Amino acid sequence: MIPFEDHFRLSRAELNKILDIALSSGGDFAEIYLEYRTYSFINMEEDIIKETAESIGLGMGIRVLSGEMTGYGYTNDLSFAKVKKAAISAAAIASGQAVATPRRFRKVQPEASVYTVGAPLHLLDLKKKIGLVEEAYLACQRSDPKIKKAKAQFQDQVQYVSIINSEGLCVQDARPQARLACYAIAEKGNRKEFGYSGGGGRIGLEYFNRVRSPRQIGQEAAEEALKLLEAVDPPAGEMSVVLAPGHSGVFVHEAVGHLLEADFNRKRTSIFWDKMGRKVGAPVVTIYDDPTIPSFRGSYDIDDEGTIPQKTLLIDRGVVISYLQDRLSAQLMNSPLTGHGRRQDYTCPPLPRMSNTYIERGQSDPEEILQSVGKGIYAERFEGGQVEDSGKFTFTISSGYLIEGGHLTAPIKQATLIGSNIDILLKIEMVGFDLAFGLQTGTCGKEGQEVPVADGCPTIKISLMTVGGRP
Amino acid sequence: MKQNSRAPDLRGLAESLVLYARSSGADEAEITIDDGSEFSVDIRLGKVENLVEAGSKHLGLRVIKDMKTAYASSSDLGEETLKRLIRNAVTRAQFGSRDVCAGLPSPIPQVIDISALNLYDPRIKELKAAKKISLALETEQIALADKRITNSHGASFVTNEVTTILANSNGFSGSYDQTFCSLSVGLQAGGTDDIVEDYWFSTERFFCDLESPEAIAKKAVERTVRQLNPRKIQTQTVPVIFEPSMTAWLLGFLFACVSAVAVYQKLSFLADRLGQRIGNDKITVIDDGLMPGKLGSRPFDSEGVSCQRTTIVQDGVLQSYICNTYAARKLNLQSTGNADGTGVSPNNFYLFPGSFSPQDIISSTEKGFILVRTIGHGLNPVNGDISRGAFGLWVEDGEVAYPVSEVTASGNLEKILNQVQMVGNDLEFRGPVCGPTIKIAELTVAGE
Repeated sequence: MIPFEDHFRLSRAELNKILDIALSSGGDFAEIYLEYRTYSFINMEEDIIKETAESIGLGMGIRVLSGEMTGYGYTNDLSFAKVKKAAISAAAIASGQAVATPRRFRKVQPEASVYTVGAPLHLLDLKKKIGLVEEAYLACQRSDPKIKKAKAQFQDQVQYVSIINSEGLCVQDARPQARLACYAIAEKGNRKEFGYSGGGGRIGLEYFNRVRSPRQIGQEAAEEALKLLEAVDPPAGEMSVVLAPGHSGVFVHEAVGHLLEADFNRKRTSIFWDKMGRKVGAPVVTIYDDPTIPSFRGSYDIDDEGTIPQKTLLIDRGVVISYLQDRLSAQLMNSPLTGHGRRQDYTCPPLPRMSNTYIERGQSDPEEILQSVGKGIYAERFEGGQVEDSGKFTFTISSGYLIEGGHLTAPIKQATLIGSNIDILLKIEMVGFDLAFGLQTGTCGKEGQEVPVADGCPTIKISLMTVGGRP
Repeated sequence: MKQNSRAPDLRGLAESLVLYARSSGADEAEITIDDGSEFSVDIRLGKVENLVEAGSKHLGLRVIKDMKTAYASSSDLGEETLKRLIRNAVTRAQFGSRDVCAGLPSPIPQVIDISALNLYDPRIKELKAAKKISLALETEQIALADKRITNSHGASFVTNEVTTILANSNGFSGSYDQTFCSLSVGLQAGGTDDIVEDYWFSTERFFCDLESPEAIAKKAVERTVRQLNPRKIQTQTVPVIFEPSMTAWLLGFLFACVSAVAVYQKLSFLADRLGQRIGNDKITVIDDGLMPGKLGSRPFDSEGVSCQRTTIVQDGVLQSYICNTYAARKLNLQSTGNADGTGVSPNNFYLFPGSFSPQDIISSTEKGFILVRTIGHGLNPVNGDISRGAFGLWVEDGEVAYPVSEVTASGNLEKILNQVQMVGNDLEFRGPVCGPTIKIAELTVAGE
């Protein structure tokens, strides 16, 4: 049974023929990726439902591998003629004779699903979705007279994918995803500050009753903006930095995760390429990437190459244990698959990507971590970050506090932190036992492809890091 | 100039869907279709790594009923799907709220001569795959011949051809074709534990305007190796020189702050500032959609409003916001022909050049920092604050002394615009947002 046949309208015999055409120039491997995506969006601002949107994505990508080379074609017209044309484009990567191999399709399915959906949001009445948006909006706006503007946005989607490859693999996945986000502007005199909060994941309606309510999301956005009204400029220079649990996961994403993606290491452009089995961090640092955490934004039942994903230990007590693999890199590096081959949509070939990345809980009491810092900053909320293959990375704090004499004092405004990853990983002195995860609204970009991710960490102390403030 | 042979069919489809939307109860309707084709080749260490050749179409629609707006889009261009999306949008619009500013732009006669804009190079379609691959190979080969280069991120050659079709219920129906081609290479130098990296590229509409493989390779090598053996510096406040790509980055932030969409939402510190000074008299910023052959040029925006030349800042005084029709109505202004979906996008948005050569600017600096790259986030349009990871070169006695890494640069956009001391003569239109070298009196650079 070829899944979701009603959307894709291609018979198994046709798909089999397409795979043969894709391999007609002698490629080693061919794969068809069929995608159908439904999406809806609601935006509330200036006290009105300003717009709603609905979107449909339909298309097919076809990939041919030949040694280290990838040929790729895609089309949004699923007529046999157009699909065949895409297959011929992809086939052109190889130059040789087709090797005829009879193919037996086998279906692969994960044992349990990470999509914890009770009441599917894509089936929910538009009025009820608007109700969620209004609840967040009003909670934000009414939380304080200093909140001068609120904005709330809801989006939900289901991505149906079918993957069929020349080895006979045949899998399907239906991935739900939702996100409710709220933005606030607080004003006091000439000061104007921005706050944000949100929630979501691979979830159903019950999430907004049981896990995070729209009201809570709205209030949190307001609270952040209000706090920033009182914030002072952060100091500049090198100092101790304590990362708050949860949102600080962006640190592990930038400092470690990207550079353990296998493609950068296979190409020896990542600073980690010769560090397998070697110590790159303090012994308190253990890092995982886990696509199998139920309901998380970065989770999936199968990756975009049809591999069942695994919780992957990346760094064990400071030592590099594994890279994040996709099919191509795993084969070329002679490594096992980890199930991290992901793509933005049918127009993109897969790449090794993160899913839900986090620093494992440690032994320290968060209170003791704070008390150990004479002067430094406490980083609480983040805007994001970036890393280069050299290991230089940044992340930007949207709010936090000064630490003076072991206590949090004045709130601080936006500041960017910069460091070299191995240098900073070695400077992690303490890891708390309070592991938490961020907002479940994050997106990661790589080579122009965006995929949903989540990250987390406990309270962490970095002994010295450069903070870009305003002296 | 007939370029896309399918364009008449797609224009017919767009026009018929506008009629369908009207007959389904929409007061106003707008249909956009993008029909694109892409070729890209990535090579690395002398071998082809990825080869992509494909085409796809995308349709977007907007309906307005009782001053309530609903949007939809699809890459499934089946008639049944599109009609269903239109009917759903008309139904969904009723759940929205009345908004007196909603609606299509008023009908305006089209005045732009599309062929004079020079957006389409017929030669791009004719380029053979082998030629495109060899350009990428040659670029990387020249770069790798330099012994200081230790690894390659690879070189790429990309071409795109896009037909844009727009029809609306106010009688607008138009289309235009455009081409792009791009050649780039990314490099590394230094050992594993002290890697430096950078890249260079050339993007043009016309193949004949593309920089040569030699020029791109040499520039990429120079930009990479000049960062070798960086030092950390003490935290200090010094004059900072922005290279053109960094001025473009700063202008990109200014664009976000003069976007009328951000302004009417009060998400920009430049809200309510028209006619006021936001920079010193060295700052003149233009948005011009009608420059022949330039990357940001287009005959009309995503709502069918003709593009134009708009002075955004004149001698430091804020003259205009970047508007689409909706934001313009909110602010009681006119659209500037910058609509892009529900937002705005730059046409050719640039800082007007001055008279100094980049060398003059460096020579004038006793002690300072040349900003060559930034990484990370850290731009806040609500208050204009900037805070980014930075890479650069230290200047002593008017000369480049050594590279600097692992610092952050922080400041405030309005303060920076008020502290511009010199503006360079080296403006090049390398993208839709661009500017020449500039020198800022002081900025905080945080290091040790």
